[in-house]
Amino acid sequence: MEVLKLSHSVVSPSDVNRLERELNSLDDFFVAAKARQTGTTMQLPKLTRILNQMAKDNNVNLLEEADRRRLVKALKLAYDQAPTLHISFATEPSPKALERLVVWVRTNIHPQALIQIGLQPSIAAGCFLRTANKTFDMSLRATMKKSEPQLLKLIAGAVDGH
Amino acid sequence: MNTGGLVLIVGALVGAAASFIWLAWKLENGAGGKKPKLKDQGQLADAAKEDVEHIFNTEFREELRNRGRLHFEKILGENAMFLQQDLRQTTTQLNDYMRAEITRTLQEEFKKYEQSIVDAKQIALDSIEKTVATIEQQRQFLEQQMKSETDAQKKRLVDRFESEMATIVNHYVLQAIGNQIDLSEQMDFILGEMQANKQAIIEDIKRGST
Repeated sequence: MEVLKLSHSVVSPSDVNRLERELNSLDDFFVAAKARQTGTTMQLPKLTRILNQMAKDNNVNLLEEADRRRLVKALKLAYDQAPTLHISFATEPSPKALERLVVWVRTNIHPQALIQIGLQPSIAAGCFLRTANKTFDMSLRATMKKSEPQLLKLIAGAVDGH
Repeated sequence: MNTGGLVLIVGALVGAAASFIWLAWKLENGAGGKKPKLKDQGQLADAAKEDVEHIFNTEFREELRNRGRLHFEKILGENAMFLQQDLRQTTTQLNDYMRAEITRTLQEEFKKYEQSIVDAKQIALDSIEKTVATIEQQRQFLEQQMKSETDAQKKRLVDRFESEMATIVNHYVLQAIGNQIDLSEQMDFILGEMQANKQAIIEDIKRGST
């Protein structure tokens, strides 16, 4: 299998983990289907939209066991080795905003990057990014801190009446 | 009137009394001074005795006594009058002297009293001036201390305001708009910031993966 193409709906490591569990469940279903007695009915498992999208993006036939194995293996690899960015926002981001962020990260940073979303209300606006070794304060607080001299100049001007 | 004046007056009185006594004695013994010259002392004595008896008979002696008494009384009266005048004058002078002395003493005492009052007033003024100077000094010290304290407090507030500027504004923004900021509207800003830090993020990811 070529490099795993992660869907834009797959955002965090837990999404990858969930896909892996879903594939394992699918395997279990097929094993049970083989072992079932003739005439007994079986409830077909419902596949999630994300798994379908992943299968489509990676040209995987989910009915084929070998394809499923390859996909599981690729997902495990992604779960273990894909870079994870921890990004905190003041509020829960909307799916649309999150998708836009994921697209940008996978386009500009790493195609298999995963994003762990966190909440930090004190940052008011912007976000706080943490990688393995660094933190990037991209909050409103940091921006204002950078603009502090200008703000002080404006306040001083207002105090002096200019 | 001084002591010399008194001595002079008393001397004059004593002199007058002495002259009076001398005059009385002179009158008493004046007739015996002119005795006739006689050859025989005994005869002379007898003659004198006879003459004396003849001249200085009882009437004459009485007459002389009367005249002497009158003269003595006259002199005594005159001297008494002089003495009275002198005493009156002395009394007047004494009164004047006493008045002048009392006045002078009182004036001196008043001057001393006045000087004491002036000194006390000066001491009080000096004390008040010192107190005023001390109060003024204390006031200036307090004013300076309060000014420095106010300036320090002001500086502390300004420094704190400046150091906490971002936090204050951030807190204000958070309180003012809170969760009303839609994250979708912030995406341009966030992606811009990420674009600015893109290289650093990629490098850190590469370093973390190796």
